[in-house]
Amino acid sequence: MLARRASAFARSFATVVDNAGVKVAAIDNGQPTTAVTFLVKAGSRYEPKPGVAHTLKNFAFKSTGKRSALGTVRESELYGGVLSASLSREYLALTSEFLRGDESFFVDLMSSFLTSSKFQRHEFQEYVLPVVEAESTAASQNPATRALELAHSLAFRSGLGSSLFASPHSHVSLDDVKEFAARAFSKGNIAVLGTGIDSAALTQLVEKALGGASVGNVAVESKPSTYFGGETRLESHGGPETVFIGFGAAGPADPALAILSAHLSPQPSVKWSQGLSPISAAIPQGTSVQPVLMPYSDATLFGLLVQGSSPEGVKEAAKVATNALKESTGLNGDALKTAVAKAKFAAASSLDGRDGILGALSTKVFANSDASIEATLASIDKVDAAAFSKSVAAITKSKPTFVAIGSVQTLPFTDELGL
Amino acid sequence: MNVLGPSLAPYIRSSRTLKKYVTPVAHWYADLMGYRKMGLKYDDLQVEENPQVQRALGRLTPRETYERSYRFKIASNCDLHHKPLPKEQWSKPEDDKRYLQPHILNIIKEEEERFTWDAMTVQRK
Repeated sequence: MLARRASAFARSFATVVDNAGVKVAAIDNGQPTTAVTFLVKAGSRYEPKPGVAHTLKNFAFKSTGKRSALGTVRESELYGGVLSASLSREYLALTSEFLRGDESFFVDLMSSFLTSSKFQRHEFQEYVLPVVEAESTAASQNPATRALELAHSLAFRSGLGSSLFASPHSHVSLDDVKEFAARAFSKGNIAVLGTGIDSAALTQLVEKALGGASVGNVAVESKPSTYFGGETRLESHGGPETVFIGFGAAGPADPALAILSAHLSPQPSVKWSQGLSPISAAIPQGTSVQPVLMPYSDATLFGLLVQGSSPEGVKEAAKVATNALKESTGLNGDALKTAVAKAKFAAASSLDGRDGILGALSTKVFANSDASIEATLASIDKVDAAAFSKSVAAITKSKPTFVAIGSVQTLPFTDELGL
Repeated sequence: MNVLGPSLAPYIRSSRTLKKYVTPVAHWYADLMGYRKMGLKYDDLQVEENPQVQRALGRLTPRETYERSYRFKIASNCDLHHKPLPKEQWSKPEDDKRYLQPHILNIIKEEEERFTWDAMTVQRK
């Protein structure tokens, strides 16, 4: 299998190499530790039944053909490595962080999960199911997480609308998990990302690990996303009153929304100051508003998450947030320049940390798009007042996604907020 | 000595002539033991009062667990009457599979692995 090198980008920070269907991208900044992530298109978007993706994620690092669950943990502890698995709506990410020099062991460990995982019944019942239950319970008790799950379900219904967490109502069997794994672990659905490791070295290791193995060739299908929108209210107590006001659109990520998010964000650039956001000046004490931007490969959800200790305060803050959002269509001049600068900085500084690098790479690696930061910054720069106004007007014209969690008698309805 | 007890079976199976001659004797003996007349399987006779077999019992499917309990009930009833079952209810030799032995062997292997890991000394090359 010949490895095709993607065209070299000027000042690109990572090159995406296509190795027999498995995409490999790596960046080496001379760090003392290496992190390798196996990214699989097995997110909650692709699951055939609710809860299967969450269960599969918890099966990571259990018994495989090469080593048992105990052996996996003990051996990686002896190497001093940290193993983790995380699930997003589009990807399942298996990550290991370790000292330079140990990459062959850890790449072999993670690839053995993709090629020869045993999915044993007793491990499913003793290890996996209790963790799935615990994670789902913890998520359902956090109103912000719950609001976002409901918002996605209202906005996208199936596909991106599937919850990240298994629910106690959906019964997931071991056969469901095995079937999903068999379909999702095929070469076209896997990408390997590395930080602190040379791209050529990583490509070689991946070729050796996944080359001869029985990795299937059936791609995972998913219908293209459509945005719907809707409203829901949930009675709850014991946590902060929560309201989520969101809008969405199908289509590729729009840099104007990153600028909007930066403009509305009450996060000040100077500590202890109130910041320049139109929201932070007017919301009552004890409430918080944060913009939420979730760009996926073929749809985006943008919204404002309002939380506070009293439902009246949250109602007030939600009115302020909605007005600020509506008025931002007319953003121009210095205020727009400020927002653009803030958005560019946020995009660039996210690459300071390992998580940010992996996040940025994962959005681009499957799309085979330009894997350089220059492209992202240029696309944000290109947005002028007219384009910005058009994007914001278009998205706010879509049906709003509204979720209210807490004392529902007092929390606002969509018409009270003017949505 | 493990919970499955001493066994010459692996040695006998490794030799073709021994296997050819000893297997019919083994089948005759299993029939003579009489547990099939009570509707039981060979693994129902396995001594379960030890941690390894308790773990193995936890790995049976719900169906296997239910059928095992049912066979025990039938056998207890036979014991009460001091009589074996009628011939049609004897368990068939082709159904008399070792359902518990693979789980027990896996558990013994896992325990050995755990001990190896616990007792290991590590040297960085």
